[in-house]
Amino acid sequence: MQDFLELAVSASASGCVYGLVALAYLLMIRPTAIINFAVGEWAMVGAFGGFLLLTRAEWPYPVGMAAVLLAMLAVGWATERIAVRPLVERGAPLLAPILALLGMLVVFRESISLAFGPDPHPVPYPFGFGRLELGPLAGSYQSFFIIATTLVVFAGVWLFFERTVAGKAFEAVAINRRAAALMGINLARVTALSFAGGGAAAGLAGLLVSPNISAHYLMGVPLAIQGFTALVIGGVGRVEGALLGGLVLAFAEQLTVRYAPVPAGYAQGVPLVLLMLFLLVRPTGLLRAREARA
Amino acid sequence: MPIARRARAAALAAALALAGSAAAQETIKIGVITDKVGPAKPYAEPATEGIVFGAEEINRKGGILGRKIELLIEDDQGRPDISAAMARKLVEAGAVFILSMSLTPATQQQQNVTLAAKTPQMTPMNSGDTLTTQLDNPYFWQTGPLGSIQIATLLSYARAKNLKRVALISDNSDLGQLLARFFRSGLEKSGIEVAVEEVVPRGATSAEPQMQKIRAANPDALFMAGVLTPENVLILKAYRQFGLKFPIHASYNLSVPQYMTVAKGLLDGVTFVDAYDPDKPEVKAFEAEFTRVMKKPPYNLHGYGYDGINLVADAIRRAGSTDKEQIRAAMQATPGYAGVMGAKGMKYVFADGKRTGFDPNGMVVRVYEGDRQGRVVHVGQK
Repeated sequence: MQDFLELAVSASASGCVYGLVALAYLLMIRPTAIINFAVGEWAMVGAFGGFLLLTRAEWPYPVGMAAVLLAMLAVGWATERIAVRPLVERGAPLLAPILALLGMLVVFRESISLAFGPDPHPVPYPFGFGRLELGPLAGSYQSFFIIATTLVVFAGVWLFFERTVAGKAFEAVAINRRAAALMGINLARVTALSFAGGGAAAGLAGLLVSPNISAHYLMGVPLAIQGFTALVIGGVGRVEGALLGGLVLAFAEQLTVRYAPVPAGYAQGVPLVLLMLFLLVRPTGLLRAREARA
Repeated sequence: MPIARRARAAALAAALALAGSAAAQETIKIGVITDKVGPAKPYAEPATEGIVFGAEEINRKGGILGRKIELLIEDDQGRPDISAAMARKLVEAGAVFILSMSLTPATQQQQNVTLAAKTPQMTPMNSGDTLTTQLDNPYFWQTGPLGSIQIATLLSYARAKNLKRVALISDNSDLGQLLARFFRSGLEKSGIEVAVEEVVPRGATSAEPQMQKIRAANPDALFMAGVLTPENVLILKAYRQFGLKFPIHASYNLSVPQYMTVAKGLLDGVTFVDAYDPDKPEVKAFEAEFTRVMKKPPYNLHGYGYDGINLVADAIRRAGSTDKEQIRAAMQATPGYAGVMGAKGMKYVFADGKRTGFDPNGMVVRVYEGDRQGRVVHVGQK
């Protein structure tokens, strides 16, 4: 039982990271229908932001974290301006910006690789490296920090969509772009903001996970795959689905490794099996989008 | 017309002198296939830097046979599917020798070309045991320490510890899996039970479930065969967080100095196998010269490339020609070359017609003292 509770903390932390990457996908897919596979590279950029500001420049953690998030908002916004908007304005098919963003993935990865080299770089923990025991639960300080931060972010994003006019505008665009435009909603601004939000969510995921796995130029693609799988599991319709999908994926991965009687290494197939299962059996994910109100 | 004859003779002599001078200027082309963007980049980049430094040093000293070395460097992205095409490109560009600095499967693919084109090829850094056995290619040599030598050296060190049951952990990279296989087979041959074997996949965000299973098995020691630094750091973090006490014996990957920064506070007491002895005179001279010229200190991976280019230069010198067949014969007959890598006194030699040149007793075991790569605690397999 002690092992299970220990694992629950570890899996929750991993699930929160996957959930944040899934949230980044979701923020862009809902209003634009564009799948941006460069979110993993955004997470990598966030991690390297942490390396620059927290390790090299030794900024206080809250200041460095805020600066990284602001920078990632700008990275998301700029990506939309460079790789998406020109294509949308020219009436290009939906596939065009998706392919352009795949190109941006390579640009981000190779830029980081050239600037920082191939070796991993350390990013500090906000509360140091250590073990915290909360009743029966035990885990690293960082695991608890990741869980707490992610819950705050998801609560904030949920409130934004449910309780603010701007959030309703996002939702309106997601339901029907043409009708939303006729109602006076600025589609270009919603698209830009969705990319900026996606950049911040992905960058935060990278910053949170980097003290554990270091900042390195190949960290993006696995995060992009895990986040996408989480999104498929949770469903693209609801914000909380992203977090739920991340948690389901991480628990499935880690419980399989720990308890399933399968040879070492086979457990890595779990995300792919889940991805296929959900696409076949429940393509809308665990949580369906709410119906448009009459 | 003696004057006209003398003039013609003088013109002919001048033309011959110019032609001779042009021949002297002609470079010796050596191909390098490296990985600039793929998964082998962290290893291939410093090792290739060692080749470039070595080639420039040779050129500063007058080159080989009076000719300068010209490196033709190609990037195969660590992909076996395009690696053979890179080898073909180098052969067609006139390379008389190819140095392979990419992943083991990529190097294997290149051999199909070098065998057909009868072009000498060597990998100074790949550690897969099967590179010289899968294909009977007399034009190919391997001078990096084999995976089997690594585990044999570690086992030789661990023998005194009276191990009965151990745990083995690796990653899911090609090389990590290959090394895990060598580790498992070496352990089992020594009568040591592998009680539990785990894999941390590339891109994992936690190694806690794997380390929980290992903790539950209560092994006498943990052998780490993985080669991916972030995943190895995850293993070390879980080990420290769980307060585990059994010793860790690790592959050469732990010899990469980057661990001293990304695994700070996690390394004390971890033993690792290495092919680099900082007290060796050749290493001291190499480190001093590299630091002077490149304005940064080298480490073991640079040494692999440096030894590689110097072995090639040595073979071409002894061949006395850039004829590929003569270079092949000279390389195979290498009489014993003392390089940077290997324990004190180790020499590369291809004994008994074999094409693996690293002495089975040439590796060392070192121990982390705090966060510093510390002293040599064991040499060879004895």
